[in-house]
Amino acid sequence: MEQEEYIRKYFEGDLSEEEALAFQKLLKEDTAVAAAFEFEKNVKKAITLNKRKALKETFKAYEKPKKSYKWLYAAASIAVLVGLFTWNSFYSTNYDSLYNQYYQTYPNTIAPTVRGTGTTDLKSEAFFAYDTGDYETALSLFTKIYKSTSEDYALFYKGISLMELEQYEDALAVFNNGVFEENSIFKSYSRWYAALSYLKLENKAAATAVLESLTKSENPQREAAIKLLARLE
Amino acid sequence: MKKGKHRVSFFIDLFTSCPTIVLMNNEKLLISSLKSDDPIVIKKFYEENKKGFVFFASRYQLDQEAITDIYQDAVIALIENAKKGSIDDLKSSLSTYLFGIGKFMIYKKLKKDKRTISIDDGEFPEVAFDMYEEEEINLQLALLRKGLKKLGEQCQKVLQLFYYEEKKLDEIQELLDYTNKDVLKSQKSRCLKQLKEIIKER
Repeated sequence: MEQEEYIRKYFEGDLSEEEALAFQKLLKEDTAVAAAFEFEKNVKKAITLNKRKALKETFKAYEKPKKSYKWLYAAASIAVLVGLFTWNSFYSTNYDSLYNQYYQTYPNTIAPTVRGTGTTDLKSEAFFAYDTGDYETALSLFTKIYKSTSEDYALFYKGISLMELEQYEDALAVFNNGVFEENSIFKSYSRWYAALSYLKLENKAAATAVLESLTKSENPQREAAIKLLARLE
Repeated sequence: MKKGKHRVSFFIDLFTSCPTIVLMNNEKLLISSLKSDDPIVIKKFYEENKKGFVFFASRYQLDQEAITDIYQDAVIALIENAKKGSIDDLKSSLSTYLFGIGKFMIYKKLKKDKRTISIDDGEFPEVAFDMYEEEEINLQLALLRKGLKKLGEQCQKVLQLFYYEEKKLDEIQELLDYTNKDVLKSQKSRCLKQLKEIIKER
């Protein structure tokens, strides 16, 4: 058998026992054959090792954490939101802060609270409640008083109580529909507080309208109305 | 009486082996995909078996990097044996076989690191594989590894089929559609000569 055949049969796995022994003998005796055989064995090893390395590289790539843009998108979204929020705060009307700047609880100018005088009429009780911040009680008492006496102070303070209780829609009902004596101080103030209620309810149009009418007449809140109007623009 | 019994047991065997047959068909499909280097199938196989292997290997006190390394080598060995046709008649499932290889590799590594082993020797894979020690200082080998890349495509194909996939010339002749075996023989011979020339140029 030719040396090439021995080598080929070796790699094909077809050497019989006898042939294998003969091949071994040949390798010992013929250095050229031994070299050729060694060469082909190295070729086999080389191809195999290259293949293994290639696969290993592929597998290493599987393990590599993929470049994730998730965080980038998350950060970008947050940035956009923060931007919007900030822009929104600066450029849009901040109703709450304006309201807080211009609203003041209207003081008790009717019945200065004097305790211990013995008189426990409804009016004193109502104003006592109002002065001590018990607006719930004040509300119910003023409502009662107005029902029986129809005096506009009761209506007015009812409205303020409602504002204190943050029931702005009800307060508006009182200030808009209530009948106040012409030229009474309560009439102009009811307009003012109506405007503030609209403001709190973020009804810019209505608030502006009421404030404008306030600027056109003489009343204690005219200056304030002008200022607030300017802020609203 | 005997005949009847045989007939019955035949059907019973057929029936009970049905699910096994289905499983085997899936495995056969998998093996042929691995043989053809299907990247999607390979990746899926890799990922599906990794968790289980890592869990299995964690009892041997090896760090994650070493376990991953061994796992990768085990999968590579499996693919290699698939290509050689060694696992065409595999009795167990591919995953079992894979774990067997991995276990063997762990055993070897622990031995190398001179660690005390408590591996049950009996459970090594049915099919062996060559673990070439890459630390071998073999200049010709190193040169060949580089030189092979410079060979033409046809040569690379022929040599790969013969030496790596351990196919016989008859088979290769059919696969690559050579007119006859002698034409193929001379082609292979030419390729080896070319390779010799390439590595001579240093």
